[in-house]
Amino acid sequence: MEQSERRFFVSRFFIAFFRIGGKNCMGMMIVTNNERVKEKFEGEYKVNFYDVSLREILIIVRDLIHKGHKLYTHPLSGSVKPGETVFKSIIVSDAPGKFSEESLSIIENSIITCDKFGIKFPDLPDNIKADFQCIDLTLISSALGADNI
Amino acid sequence: MKLELGYINIKDIQFSNESKVENGTLFVNKDAIKALVLEDANIKSVDVDIARPGESVRITPVKDVIEPRVKVSGGGGMFPGVISKVDTVGSGRTHVLRGAAVVTTGKIVGFQEGIIDMTGEGAKYSPFSQTFNLVVVCQPIDGLKQHEHEHAVRMAGLKTAVYLGELAKALTPDEIETFETYSIRESVEKYPDLPKIGYIAMLQSQGLLHDTYVYGVDAKRTLTTLINPTEIMDGAIISGNCVSACDKNTTYHHLNNPVVHDLFARHGKDLIFAGMIITNENVYLADKERSSNWTAKLAEYLGLDGAIISQEGFGNPDTDLIMNCRKVEEKGIKTVIITDEYAGRDGSSQSLADAHVSANAVVTGGNANELITLPKLDKVIGDIGPVDKIAGGFDKNMNPDGSIQVELQAITGATNEMGFNCLSAR
Repeated sequence: MEQSERRFFVSRFFIAFFRIGGKNCMGMMIVTNNERVKEKFEGEYKVNFYDVSLREILIIVRDLIHKGHKLYTHPLSGSVKPGETVFKSIIVSDAPGKFSEESLSIIENSIITCDKFGIKFPDLPDNIKADFQCIDLTLISSALGADNI
Repeated sequence: MKLELGYINIKDIQFSNESKVENGTLFVNKDAIKALVLEDANIKSVDVDIARPGESVRITPVKDVIEPRVKVSGGGGMFPGVISKVDTVGSGRTHVLRGAAVVTTGKIVGFQEGIIDMTGEGAKYSPFSQTFNLVVVCQPIDGLKQHEHEHAVRMAGLKTAVYLGELAKALTPDEIETFETYSIRESVEKYPDLPKIGYIAMLQSQGLLHDTYVYGVDAKRTLTTLINPTEIMDGAIISGNCVSACDKNTTYHHLNNPVVHDLFARHGKDLIFAGMIITNENVYLADKERSSNWTAKLAEYLGLDGAIISQEGFGNPDTDLIMNCRKVEEKGIKTVIITDEYAGRDGSSQSLADAHVSANAVVTGGNANELITLPKLDKVIGDIGPVDKIAGGFDKNMNPDGSIQVELQAITGATNEMGFNCLSAR
């Protein structure tokens, strides 16, 4: 490999490392039903996209936690309530480890909270859906230190 | 620090050729406000309107509410780090147009929130039904990104409030209230038998439409820290949070923090107001751990006997609230937490998304899920369309007679978690 090529790959490595923002080096996985999150982050992180409801995303994350994945972001991000927004992105560890009781407690409480809110807007116009996508994207971006705003 | 607030009481607001305050009336030159707001190239057009208490007027969707104030003496200027330079504020004298408010509206995102009704059932739930409001309705340039739009509307409101506040600079106040903070050593020497009580103010800090700024710094990028409570009276903390109308702290709330006012009032009587800690509410769980660890560390460092903790928001901030409460209690410091509730329409569901046995002294700001019916009002400033897409609204919530059913969630300030609201349990 030529020196310039070596420098290129070394610099890309450091850029990728620092883009993670010094967060836990265990590796992250984004569980999401938001296409925009998938588009933005799939090159940098493992992104598991599911075209499912917000509640289903919480259930998927709960199941991962039971398998030993650790929760890195709070499932109830944002003040737009479950049932108002349909989009949710949650970051967990990309590999299972020691079971985290705290992670389970948080996700279980989040599911209980979610069930308090019914679906408020069953026929959302596309522009409002896009806005909810945008908010979910910025919330997860700010959690990753990647909002740059 | 010693700060005098000089209140000029406002009892009416009118449009006029000349902006001034005379005999309790705030006269506003509409064109001057428009020109000021349109200095921002990101704003295509602006409307300015007035809403007085008792009028059949609805303002929606509400972004922020700001009280006009001006620094008369002491260092710095209003809203340091945002409008003014970063010089430390909180001392000297500040004049306040008490009874006036600037309200910003605008469709930053399609789903909206925030209703202020100036009369009727809804007026009972918002403190801003009692203020003389100058409403600024901004339209962005085409294609403006949401975060730039939010920034433009935020700055428009603050600049307008500063412009109006300047009108009070040379006036003689109707009343002056003095706030003085002392070092803990001075307070304990003077009042050795009184408990040292601190105030821990949690600031919303999750991202776009969910942000707070301290001397212009995004709160999500801060570590828990101390602030002198008089600094917030000069706008050291401003709101970039406009989601969930009922429990988001407008800039007006930060300027008029009732916990701060009440602690000052009782300092030297039955407690020592020992200090104010500000902390954030990030989405990343490790940030929550770090911030709450720091909160407890500072509370212990201040030698507190007790602490009042107020949160902002719903859901994941409940986790911050419980972390702060638990960790401060583990230091042997008693806590009282102030929060609102999402307890379902009948009030019987668990109120918070998190809980702990040490959170056994709670003051509630009210149940945000409570359903009320707002009458049809004659005039809407802003945009009625989004009301059924509003946080607290729901599908098909408008009745044939034009009245709408909403949860308290939708009313600006209805269940405020500093306690700056009208709901109580007596």
